Amino acid sequence: MSAFIELSKKEVHQMAREFKILWLPIVFILLGLTQPIMMYYLPVILQSAGGVQGILIDPTMAKPVGQEVLASTLNSQFDQLGIIILVVATMSIIQGEKANGMMAFILTRPVSIASYLKSKIIIHYMLAVSCIALGYAVSYGYSAYLFTTVPMTQAFWALVFYCVWLLFIITFVAMMSTFFNSTAFIALISIVSLLICRFIAGLHPLIDIVNPASNSMYATNILMSGDVESWYGLNIVGTLLFVLLMIITMQSFIAKKKF
Amino acid sequence: MRLEIKNITKKFKQKTAVNDFSMAIDSNECVGLIGPNGAGKSTLIQIIADVLNADEGEILLDGQKISSMRNQIGYLPQYPNFFSWMTAFETLSFMGKLSGISKNELQKEIPLLLEKVGLGNEAHSHVGTFSGGMKQRLGIAQALLHKPALIIMDEPVSALDPIGRREVLNLLKEIKKETTVLLSTHILSDAEEICERFIMIKNGHKIEDATKSELLERHQESVIFLMIRKVDFQWLTMVEQLAYVQKIASCQNGFKIYVENLETDANRLIQHGLDSKVMFTKFEVGIQDNLEEIFLELVV
Repeated sequence: MSAFIELSKKEVHQMAREFKILWLPIVFILLGLTQPIMMYYLPVILQSAGGVQGILIDPTMAKPVGQEVLASTLNSQFDQLGIIILVVATMSIIQGEKANGMMAFILTRPVSIASYLKSKIIIHYMLAVSCIALGYAVSYGYSAYLFTTVPMTQAFWALVFYCVWLLFIITFVAMMSTFFNSTAFIALISIVSLLICRFIAGLHPLIDIVNPASNSMYATNILMSGDVESWYGLNIVGTLLFVLLMIITMQSFIAKKKF
Repeated sequence: MRLEIKNITKKFKQKTAVNDFSMAIDSNECVGLIGPNGAGKSTLIQIIADVLNADEGEILLDGQKISSMRNQIGYLPQYPNFFSWMTAFETLSFMGKLSGISKNELQKEIPLLLEKVGLGNEAHSHVGTFSGGMKQRLGIAQALLHKPALIIMDEPVSALDPIGRREVLNLLKEIKKETTVLLSTHILSDAEEICERFIMIKNGHKIEDATKSELLERHQESVIFLMIRKVDFQWLTMVEQLAYVQKIASCQNGFKIYVENLETDANRLIQHGLDSKVMFTKFEVGIQDNLEEIFLELVV
């Protein structure tokens, strides 16, 4: 237990010295701001761009509601650029310490591999959740200001589901970071896999049951429709099982010292 | 405290780095693992420190597998790496807490330990600013922090300048009073200074395991080294013909005369020389090879 606490403290210190604790939240705040502002000014932008032949902006087109704006923050900002940024921020959490020998060094002390992995994943997950929450809060605020207010409970539950998807993202990148040694390769395979998961969500109900990215889709649905369907819970359990499986895989990989 | 290494084999793809290696170390020994570059010293040391897994064989410390005895082993890698953003104090504090040492004890022990390894003034400097020698010393401090029964060092002095080397060797002499030491090196004069027992490894095989005195005894040759004046060089042609002389080799400023029986033949030879009116400037009976020569003999 004390090893876990000590390792977690070290992760936090490391994040602070590398300023990750500064730039990651800022990036997500910017992402959160972009969507509402862009959607608000889109008609104006298009108009001042000269109005291309054949495109008419219907002036009676309804302004989007707050829910739509917030949902599109999740969809087009967080789920695309956001994933890429998270992957880049997380890709070297294990690979880096493999490369400079620190992981081997730490493991010469009586530290269990489980506490090592848990400290990394939990601390980085907490950072990711904080950043997403900040960006989300900013987006919520601006949607309320520029459009309409989203009911708090709806927004809250959407965030909860999105955070389950986040847990999968962080653990997946950590696993890639454990298996491979090149940061470029880790980034590539993580981004591609995660985006594929995201894009196939919603295509077929059977796939949806096992797809962790469904959580992201449910988050959007909750915002749009306001209902939390009962089977959404199943997906949470499924994703958590996936996460557990990945952690066990990482643990045995490191134990066999295949690095 | 007894470390047993049993039939360790480790292969890296095509190359067998360590081949069926076995040995045992008891308390308060100071053992030098010597061998040429690429012999498998680092690999073996990493296996003992539980950084690598062997393909075959096992290592037991006091009868238990080393993975469960990590607290009894201190390890100094060849190129110690630390988190460059931590200070020396923070590094030792971090490693100490991972070893399960309480915060209070660490607060007391770390300054003393840093002083002992010569880093007293740099306790609060960032490791990123440290030179290679300083990192090595921090590595030694880290290996000693939890007061292990056995300390394993991979080339502890190879990267240091003469001053650093001298300091570390002195430190090791102190350490070996309380802790069993196993160190690998290819600088034989250093090994000679602090180790009493040597294990030689070549191409992954153990080729020698003996104490210093055993080695020197085994490799002592029946040789007489003599230096004579130039005018007396002709006498050597007569010496060559003598029955008890096996061969004569020139060596530096003199000659090595290989004989059968050192004691009796030495007397005969000097008598022969005196009879021939030769003046000896130097007459040395029995040459002991130093460790480096023995090593070269065994390895090449």
